[in-house]
Amino acid sequence: MPREELLSPEGLRLDGRRWNNLRTLKLSLRTHPTSSGSALLTSGHTSILCLIHGPSEPSLRSKQQHDRCTITVDLTYAPFSGTDRKRRNRTDKRISELRSVIQRTFSRAVMTHLHPRSEITITLLVLSQDGGVLAGCINAATLALIDAGVPMWGYVAAVTVGWVPGQGGEGEEEGTPVLDVNNAEEGELGVLTLATMGDKGRVILGMLESRVRLEAVEGLMAVAVDSAGKVKDMMDEEVRRHGEAIARAAGVGS
Amino acid sequence: MLSISLPSAAPPLPPSSHHRASSDPDGDITMSASADDLDHLPTTLVTPGEPLTTSPQWMRGHGTYLTPPSTITSSVLGHITKTNKLLSVTPLHSRYTPEIGDLVIGRISEVQAKRWKVDIGSHQHAALLLSSINLPGGILRKRTSTDELQIRTFFSEGDLLVAEVQSLFQDGSASLHTRSLKYGKLRNGMLVVVPSAMVPRSKNHTVVLKGGAGAGEVEVVLGVNGFVWIAKKRVVEVKKPEGGVQGMVSITRLEEEASMALYSNENDEVDEATRKEIARVAGVVRVLAREGVRVEEEVLKIGYKIAVEMAEEGDEGLEGERGRRMVERVLGS
Amino acid sequence: MPKELDPSTNEKNFILESLYAGERLDGRELDAFRPLELEFGEEYGLADVRLGKTRVIARVSAQVVQPFSDRPFDGIFTITTELGPMASPGFEVGRQTEAEVLLARLIEKSIRRSTALDTESLCIVAGQKCWQVRADVHFLNHDGNMVDAACIAVVAALQHFRRPDVSIEGETVTVHSMTERVPVPLSILHVPICEGDGGDEANVVTLIDATLQEEQLRDGDMTVTMNKHGEVCQISKAGGVPLDPIAMHRDMNLAFVKVKEITAFIAKRLKEDEEKRVKRDNLLESKAENER
Repeated sequence: MPREELLSPEGLRLDGRRWNNLRTLKLSLRTHPTSSGSALLTSGHTSILCLIHGPSEPSLRSKQQHDRCTITVDLTYAPFSGTDRKRRNRTDKRISELRSVIQRTFSRAVMTHLHPRSEITITLLVLSQDGGVLAGCINAATLALIDAGVPMWGYVAAVTVGWVPGQGGEGEEEGTPVLDVNNAEEGELGVLTLATMGDKGRVILGMLESRVRLEAVEGLMAVAVDSAGKVKDMMDEEVRRHGEAIARAAGVGS
Repeated sequence: MLSISLPSAAPPLPPSSHHRASSDPDGDITMSASADDLDHLPTTLVTPGEPLTTSPQWMRGHGTYLTPPSTITSSVLGHITKTNKLLSVTPLHSRYTPEIGDLVIGRISEVQAKRWKVDIGSHQHAALLLSSINLPGGILRKRTSTDELQIRTFFSEGDLLVAEVQSLFQDGSASLHTRSLKYGKLRNGMLVVVPSAMVPRSKNHTVVLKGGAGAGEVEVVLGVNGFVWIAKKRVVEVKKPEGGVQGMVSITRLEEEASMALYSNENDEVDEATRKEIARVAGVVRVLAREGVRVEEEVLKIGYKIAVEMAEEGDEGLEGERGRRMVERVLGS
Repeated sequence: MPKELDPSTNEKNFILESLYAGERLDGRELDAFRPLELEFGEEYGLADVRLGKTRVIARVSAQVVQPFSDRPFDGIFTITTELGPMASPGFEVGRQTEAEVLLARLIEKSIRRSTALDTESLCIVAGQKCWQVRADVHFLNHDGNMVDAACIAVVAALQHFRRPDVSIEGETVTVHSMTERVPVPLSILHVPICEGDGGDEANVVTLIDATLQEEQLRDGDMTVTMNKHGEVCQISKAGGVPLDPIAMHRDMNLAFVKVKEITAFIAKRLKEDEEKRVKRDNLLESKAENER
């Protein structure tokens, strides 16, 4: 896809957004009261459901660690999540990798030393994918863990940033970062998924999967860190709103 | 040295359209990230990573951690609790955490060499040691190796039991005991699971309800871990020292021998009227918990009475609207 | 199923303390590689890499197959990695552990996704026949930093490989006639990070090319793949101690320096190997002449 289609000279992307517009973000907590914790996240057309079970007794003895809690991640793409119906194999390497990445991130973000010999299972279901799936999974999992009352060092907020390269050649025009890429953009551009933890903008997750110039990476990371902070604020707002609704309802009962 | 600078264009704007729930104009006084105003503690909800105070007078309790050099930070979503000088955050939702002395109901998940593992809905399974149960033959009976080999004759996988938390291991998991005749294996009834926060700790966890409509008595055991057992009233069979068996109600005469009937897996005959009342009580418990009313002895008695009244008025069943009406009447009385 | 033994508390404390004082067990600088050795095999496409005690062999081969139906103009490139007990007793044959999956994906992403190999040049007859180039990576010894060793091996093997010439009427296999096109050679830098107890960023120590012991004690790692043209092909930092983006960028610049060094090293070795072959072939030819 030619560059002009992805980013018009007026600065409009395929879906009419500007480079620094996030897609519509809808967040809900406690969508599944039977689980320990649950959350549903929708960003544009990407929709991800996260369910938490635990902390509870580990399903396998081998998973028990004497000094900390084990985090197990289960990630499934629903067959109807993409444009074509496709049954994705559990052992698909890409999915295994995403699972490992998410598991490593939350093994650090959750205060695992407070629940030794237990297991927390994070189940992620991608209901609809239109780019930014890894970031969506991270955000949904953060919300679900908060809902389950699992102690964490802070919010883990993730964004996806793409890089539209400049014209290149003599008189080279600098490229532009584009926030919150969709499927079409993700397929064409170099994309960085970045997650920060806490307020100081420290990076806990960084995945870049296509070629980008080293100088561009600096700009990409700066934009990503800043937007992750904004996403964190949005998550915090929804968490508070949800918490206050619960507190109010609890005031009704004896 | 590198310097990361934002691109020359404007910094990222909030999304073009962003879902905003109906905002509460006067509700949200959140003392979020501003670490300056920390001497005045936030009085409302706190979220993970939110700094609470830097004042050295506070000690930090559960639900918080220390950010160097001296900031106490919340680690969960919940409300602040101040006990003397202890500052902690109680999460809005969390799993049952056992305390010594709690009456809990659990299910045997595993049989090990000299103990059982019991699922009580907490972070880990609880342990029930062979030395902590009543062996048939009296309290002073010595535990033999035969008992260890026949451990499944007492409790096997899947059995339900009521027990008390005797002690806690270092990692917070519980060790149970059933050393009173009021504890032990459960029969003749059904289990209802509600959030553990809905069953508060109280003096009496066993409630006996007189069944309406000609049914027998229904006994409700409220486990602090949220497991509630509703059954036909228990009758403990005890061998009298002079010989002969007597079905008795008193459970404090520990010098009498408990018979093997304690560990029987056979259910008694439960007539239809009693079963119906058991189901009704189960419904009452579920609805109360769903509507956020804590399930205690008094509330349960009132709730059951009203449910029976509603049935007599022709309003059978407690689903949906009827359930809410029942709760309203309970709260009204 | 033997699990790798965690280092004892003594070792752990000793190594960590030394690292905070800026010293490593083998006396290296924090940003120094272990001695890197690269040898090629008799036949084309075999590279043997030694990074300290870590040893990896990569073997590149090619065969003619039918291209994928959705990509009729492209050849196929696959990488297989298998961690077995030879590398370390903790690895099992057949069962893919999380580490193996990540490693395989990393190598795949670095080389495949970044189009280091021009797959279009592998096409023979569009839609019917194409080359399938296959890189098999064998891990012979695990002493840390298998990622770097594996990538160096694969890249070197790819550059070393020669695929047979093809003429369209059937296939006439002529050895040594055409070279594989690997336009952009890569190098990978695997950067493990150790964190202090304070959990503060000030205590973060960054190492390059960790040994097995250092790897077991790390509190996070970041892998950056770059090529000598200054393009970043992939970044992978998952979990572990949260980093300051400025520090990350500084590490990436360091990675670039190392990448250029290693790429130059590989090129040097390739050249030496080429010269050796030419000499050998000349000797053979001269021999034949003498036999007349």
